[in-house]
Amino acid sequence: MAKVKTAQEFRGAKKYVVDEELAKIVNISIGLEMPLLLKGEPGTGKTMLAHAIAETLKMPLIVLNVKSSMKLVEALYQYDTLTRLNDSRFGDSARDISRIEDYIRMGKIGQAFTAEARTVLLIDEIDKADTDFQDDMLDVLDQMEFDIIEIDKTISARHRPVIIITSNAKKDLSDPFLGRCNFHHIAFPDPQSMREIIRVHFPDLGSELTKNAIATFYKLREIDVVEKKPATRELINWIRALELDPDFEPKLLAQGEVPYLGILFKKSQDYAVVGNYLSRKRPY
Amino acid sequence: MFVEFFYKLRESGIPVSPTSFLTLQRALRLGLVNSLEDFYTACRAILIKSERYFDLYDRIFAHCFQGAELPEDQGLELDAALRALLDEWLKNPRMLANALGLDEAALARLSPDELIEYLKERLKEQTERHDGGNKWIGTGGTSPVGHSGRHPGGLRIGGSSQNKSAVKVAMERRYRDYTRMGPLTQASMGEALKRLRNLVPAGPKDQVNIEESIYQTMKNAGEIEIIFDRSLRDRLKVILAIDNGGWSMDPHIPVVQTLFNYARSQFKDFKIYYFHNTVYSNLWEDPMRGKKPKPVEEFVRMDPETRLIMVGDASMAPYELLDMDGSVYISEKSGTPSIKRLAFLADTFPHHVWLNPVPRREWQYIHTVVQIARLFPMFELTVDGLEAAVTHLMAA
Repeated sequence: MAKVKTAQEFRGAKKYVVDEELAKIVNISIGLEMPLLLKGEPGTGKTMLAHAIAETLKMPLIVLNVKSSMKLVEALYQYDTLTRLNDSRFGDSARDISRIEDYIRMGKIGQAFTAEARTVLLIDEIDKADTDFQDDMLDVLDQMEFDIIEIDKTISARHRPVIIITSNAKKDLSDPFLGRCNFHHIAFPDPQSMREIIRVHFPDLGSELTKNAIATFYKLREIDVVEKKPATRELINWIRALELDPDFEPKLLAQGEVPYLGILFKKSQDYAVVGNYLSRKRPY
Repeated sequence: MFVEFFYKLRESGIPVSPTSFLTLQRALRLGLVNSLEDFYTACRAILIKSERYFDLYDRIFAHCFQGAELPEDQGLELDAALRALLDEWLKNPRMLANALGLDEAALARLSPDELIEYLKERLKEQTERHDGGNKWIGTGGTSPVGHSGRHPGGLRIGGSSQNKSAVKVAMERRYRDYTRMGPLTQASMGEALKRLRNLVPAGPKDQVNIEESIYQTMKNAGEIEIIFDRSLRDRLKVILAIDNGGWSMDPHIPVVQTLFNYARSQFKDFKIYYFHNTVYSNLWEDPMRGKKPKPVEEFVRMDPETRLIMVGDASMAPYELLDMDGSVYISEKSGTPSIKRLAFLADTFPHHVWLNPVPRREWQYIHTVVQIARLFPMFELTVDGLEAAVTHLMAA
């Protein structure tokens, strides 16, 4: 077993507030060279984590956005037959038509494997794909190699990428898949850590505004009937909007007034429900 | 010590695999773990694969490494045992009511959780006093409201409907949200559903039609001519309407759940509606059938190519189907006999089937099934029946 480079340790990035526990798990996964599976509500920063890791460890980030119709081969490589046909017809390119290799393009996983330096590979929203895709992909990530059938060549990873997989838990992942990953569930941040997150994003935000905005935000999240609860992303955008409004004053929030509700609630039904709720709650 | 911890986790029902345990050992050997806190985090990340088990893990960890008692361990098992018992009893509420000395009306008002609490209370009394429990003596037969009656006009409060003719279900304690279903059990069902497709070209022209390209190239005397096609996409629209109300459907729910789970991932445009027994003015978008009504008339606006699949036992009192205001819900005044509504739906969507979980051999004895089968081609909710239904739906 190769010695783990202790110099490379993840501690959180400039724009990302990481709790100690998560940082530890990331480090353990890097050490064990196992993929880390992150689950949690949308907007808890699953995707951001990979960006943060890449930034901190100064590794290039490669993002594979999983789509429901995706085939594994697409993520590995692509054999560009059309270009080859075109070249064979016109023959004005530098590529050698008899070498199929010239027409193989690497997919995201292939890129991560063949990269010069170690990379961070983010596989985003794995749960969108079907189970076969997931299992096959884990095989590839386990073996750290795949075959290109067209040229009968095996591509093995030059450096094991740091693999982060995210899932919104729409579908349950299969047991063999889970067996090969480390797992962490990111809970929705509590108001305390939310304040921290807001501070990172808005260093000069007035404390009254921060306090009132977060309080209002959590109050609104408690409304049960809402289908899509606002997440961190919405809160950040909302605060940005509040900041831009010259007429806005933080104490309005404390009085129960919520401007720009549309930033927080994006479904028209939710918007109506919350609007109703607020007009009833207003103390005057 | 670690091995003991490992088995403790397994015993408590957390699926921990030996491989992941070995991974943990590897993590320890690599020197990644330097404190108890590290160990806690590492263990959890490596061994536990679902947030469902996080809490249980915490408790077992505390027990094994910090000497804490396994708190509420007894309670935990008690809960599970009680739940199992309760499920059993709920199939026959009178027995439960008798056993508890409650009348059924009171019983029907309790939510399952409250019931469990109540049962626990009773069990505690039992163990504490050892008096044999006069409270355990049943009150059989004194309850003013009965169920399982054969008189079709009787007011039923809970209970299994043996005669499949529940009239005015006055109290509905449960609803089932089919979206949160357990594991799939009948993979073959998905296979059958896969045949329900309608591939049509859609989207940008981004697929090379090789045959056509070769042909055109030849025609062009070797000048390459590449022909693009639109790729095939499944454009099939499906409406699934499920009868999720009433006791008569309860025994069939696992099967419907399986069907539902598959259907979700199958089609591009897939809508689910709910109804109870039969369709009146509205179908419902929410499983509780209260918040999001969808008037039957509005279905006329939908693509008539949509496949309509009704799932239900089609078993009810004849008047529910044929009377002007036949609904089991007192508040629902439809004004049109349900059978007309069904006929309307069948007219709107020429491709329609009815899947019935009741075995085919019993259909002829249930009046309403015969009636509905005249409108909707009816198939058994079995793999074979499903295949036949799919074939029927795809036939032009």
